[in-house]
Amino acid sequence: MRTRQPATEQYNPLAVFIEGLSTLFYGMLVTWRNFWRPKVTVRYPYQRKPMPPRYRGLFYLKWNEEKQRLNCVGCTLCAQACPTDVISMVKLGKGTNAGVSEFTMDLGRCLFCNLCVEACPFDAIYMGPAYELASERRDAALFRIADLAQGGEEAVRTNIETVQRLMAEEEKARPAAGGHAG
Amino acid sequence: MSMPVSPEKQSTLSTVDILSQGMVINVGPQHPSTHGVLRLILTLDGEQILHCEPVIGYLHRGLEKMMERRPYRHNVPFTDRLDYLAALSNNLGICQCIERLGGVEVPERAQYIRVLLMELQRIASHLVFLGTFGTDLGATTMFLYAFRERELVLDLLEECTGARLTYNWIRVGGVPDDLPEGFGEKVLGFVKTFRQRLEEYDQLLTRNRIFRSRTQGIGILPKELALAYGTSGPVIRASGMAYDVRKAAPYEVYDRVEFDVPVHEQGDVWARYLVRMEEMRQSIRIIEQVLRDIPDGPVQTKLPKVFKPPAGIAYSRIESPRGELSFMMVSDGSPNPLRVHIRAPSFVNLSVLPSLLEGTKVADLVAILGSIDVVLGEIDR
Repeated sequence: MRTRQPATEQYNPLAVFIEGLSTLFYGMLVTWRNFWRPKVTVRYPYQRKPMPPRYRGLFYLKWNEEKQRLNCVGCTLCAQACPTDVISMVKLGKGTNAGVSEFTMDLGRCLFCNLCVEACPFDAIYMGPAYELASERRDAALFRIADLAQGGEEAVRTNIETVQRLMAEEEKARPAAGGHAG
Repeated sequence: MSMPVSPEKQSTLSTVDILSQGMVINVGPQHPSTHGVLRLILTLDGEQILHCEPVIGYLHRGLEKMMERRPYRHNVPFTDRLDYLAALSNNLGICQCIERLGGVEVPERAQYIRVLLMELQRIASHLVFLGTFGTDLGATTMFLYAFRERELVLDLLEECTGARLTYNWIRVGGVPDDLPEGFGEKVLGFVKTFRQRLEEYDQLLTRNRIFRSRTQGIGILPKELALAYGTSGPVIRASGMAYDVRKAAPYEVYDRVEFDVPVHEQGDVWARYLVRMEEMRQSIRIIEQVLRDIPDGPVQTKLPKVFKPPAGIAYSRIESPRGELSFMMVSDGSPNPLRVHIRAPSFVNLSVLPSLLEGTKVADLVAILGSIDVVLGEIDR
């Protein structure tokens, strides 16, 4: 058990040498065969593989073109589903038409586990194909709403405007519908 | 060459017994052949290893304690970081445990998908073993070829799960999503290529005289010792013990698929290598059967938003690529587990290393350590 077992048969260095050499060439045949196979290497920064549709990369908040707003209503279900407290948000307004004015993700803590995406009942948060997220600065891992929203800064501004307008409309409609509610 | 000594002088020399105290050297924690942050304190007498003391804990994250502070299902992504070469096995282990705790049923299709992913994962994991083991013993070509084929498995898993290493694609009560369109054909295509590539590996490595000389008869682990230490997986199967959790206590649909458990009697590095090679072939067999038999249906059981299992203890064990991986959870009826314990196969398998290394040459250290195939993420937890 402790040391190399003694060879049972007569040790013949020449036979071993010849056998070793032959298996070496036998193995070289594999190398030779692979030499003619197509290359599998991707010359990465210049050449990229397409990402599969399910790829879990950088998050994005879905833009709803029809309603001119982000789908997110600020219900914090994703933040509750997150095991590492990545998500924080500021809710804008209340009720079914509410939105978010701030949505911050600290991806330095993120596990990319997909639990927030599965928790969302409003199809608001998704994981996209972007994967080059490494940085030399720690604060580069902090993604604010403008970095995450589809359409960027512009979309966030329109989103806030739309939600505020909806809130104002609701406010206006409430006394009329509720009658003398105080 | 030493000078010839006269018989009289020799007798006086032998009375002066110079005991070698042994030279102490450190291997690791940063060492390419330790496959992670494992530190080995070796006491050497020349080239012989007198004593080996593994030092672990450089990757300790307190995972079991972390799990006590989070709801059950939040713990699943953490298990990806245990055995990071077989993340899906860990996911399955913890999910099974939570399912047993809460009495959750898993749909049949989900069980088949789990088995399919498990076997793909086993192939990927054994390919890492094959590649790194080849490199350890000087066959760098093997590393390139094994990782080329592993890339194919990772591409398949990426397409299904969306991640390449930390998959987190097994949920309590099933799997989060069905297999993507045309996944079965792609897997069968891979299986076809892979079967042919396995032959090439045999030609390149298994038949290689140098490789055989460096592995045969090295680091022999007798069956009794393997049992006494509680080793599992390919390590114990290479020591002549036909123990596989998939057969001993079938989980998911492993009782419905046909496969053999490869067993070798020698217990040396060579046998452990052969067992893993054969296991990849058996995984292919399982994959083909699963793709043939997979039924239609739902893939997930709906669970309440706040999952509170009744008070009790649950224990689950699965056959991870490294051996018997088990989880034990204690519930007190609250949303968080009261206690989680993980039995990591690498940890138990590593404990046998000091007795394997005693009396061997330093040069065989990498071969023996590589053949146990430890993953430090799992050992330190």
